Amino acid sequence: MSEERIQRLLQQADQIAGPPAFGPVSTGTIRQRIHRRWVIRSTAIMAAAAVIAVATALWTVRMRTEKPQPPTIASLETQVEQLRVQADATLRLVQEVLAKDRQQRRLASLEAELSSIAEPMAEIERQVDKTAFILVYQADKLYKELNQTESAVVAYKEVIQLFPKNRWADVARERLSQIEQRQINKSDDKGETRCKPAAV
Amino acid sequence: MSAMAKVTEEQTLVERFRRGDDSAFDRIVERHSAEVAALANRLLGWPGDVDDMVQDVFVAAFVNLKKFRGDCRLRTWLFAITVNKCRSHRLHRRRRLHIRRVDDLEAVAGCDEAAERPAIDEETFVRIRKAVQALPQKYREVVVLRYLQGLEPAEVGELLRLRANVVQVRLNRARKRLKETLDNLIEEQS
Repeated sequence: MSEERIQRLLQQADQIAGPPAFGPVSTGTIRQRIHRRWVIRSTAIMAAAAVIAVATALWTVRMRTEKPQPPTIASLETQVEQLRVQADATLRLVQEVLAKDRQQRRLASLEAELSSIAEPMAEIERQVDKTAFILVYQADKLYKELNQTESAVVAYKEVIQLFPKNRWADVARERLSQIEQRQINKSDDKGETRCKPAAV
Repeated sequence: MSAMAKVTEEQTLVERFRRGDDSAFDRIVERHSAEVAALANRLLGWPGDVDDMVQDVFVAAFVNLKKFRGDCRLRTWLFAITVNKCRSHRLHRRRRLHIRRVDDLEAVAGCDEAAERPAIDEETFVRIRKAVQALPQKYREVVVLRYLQGLEPAEVGELLRLRANVVQVRLNRARKRLKETLDNLIEEQS
C-alpha cells in the first residue's frame, strides 16, 4: 500500500506546484531560434578560427625574429669549468717561466759580478783573511777590554775551526795559549783552575 | 478518439510536415506542448518556468522530426527528447531552483485559491520536492514518468530504453528511498 501513498503524496505535491509556465511555441519562433543558434555557432567557429590564425601568425613572426637560443645553463657551467682549468694551467706555466727567468737573471748578475773581479781567488782569500781578522779583533776586545775570557775563548776557537790555515788562526792559537798560561799561573797562585780551554 | 485514430492522425501530421507543411508542426505543438511542459517541470523539480526547456524540446523535434520512423508514439518520442534535454539541463536547473524558490512559493500560494484545495501544506511540498530532487537521476525519471506522468511501466521502459523488470527494480528502490525520507508523511497519509 505504500506505493499508493507515495504516489498520492507526489501527486499532491505536483498539484500544489501548479501548471508550469511556458510561452507560445510556433514554427516561426522555432525557425528564429534555429537561425539564432546557427549564427551563434558560426560566429563562435569564425572567432575561434580567427584567434587561431592570429596566434599562428604571431607565433610565426616571433619564431622568425627570435635570436638563436642561448646554450643551456649546464653547457655554460661546463665551459666555465674548462676555462677555469685552462686559466690555472696557464698561470702555473707563467709562474714557472718567471721563476726560471729570475734564476737566470740572478745567475747572470753573479757571473757578471764574478767577471768584474780581476783575480777571484785572491779576492776570496782577502775576504777570508778580513773575516778572520774581524773575528780575532772582536775576541781580543772581549778578552782585553771587557774581560770576558770565556766568550773570548769561544771566539778564538771559532776562528781556528773556520779558518784553520789562515794566519789569524795562528794568532787565535797564540791568544788561547796565552790565556791558558795565565790561568795556569792564576791557579798556581790560588790553587784552583777557573778556565781550562781544550787543546785545538 | 481511440488510440488507433490518434496514431493515424499523428502519422498524417508527420507526413504533412515532411512535405513542408509547417502548420502540421504547429498542430503537434498545440497537442503536446502542455504534456511536454508538465514533464519537464516535474523532471526539473517543479521550477515553475520551463519555457526555455519546452522551446529546446520542440526545436530538437523540429530538426529531427523528418527522421522519426514511427516506431513509437509521437508523445513517447517527445517525452524521450524531454528526458534527454532535462538530463543535459541538470546543472542549470539547480541554480534556477535557488533563484526562483521564493517566487515559486508565492505562485503556489496564488494558485491554491483557484485550484482544488491541496491536502498538504507548503512546508510538506518543499520536503517532497527536496526528497524527489535528492533521488538519483535514474530513479527520479522512473518515478516522475510512472507516478506523475501516469505512464505504464512498459511505456516507461520504451521511453528510457529499459527492460520492464529494470523499470520495476528502479521503481522499488526509488520508493524505498522516498519512504526513508518521507516516512512520517506517509504515516500521516495512512
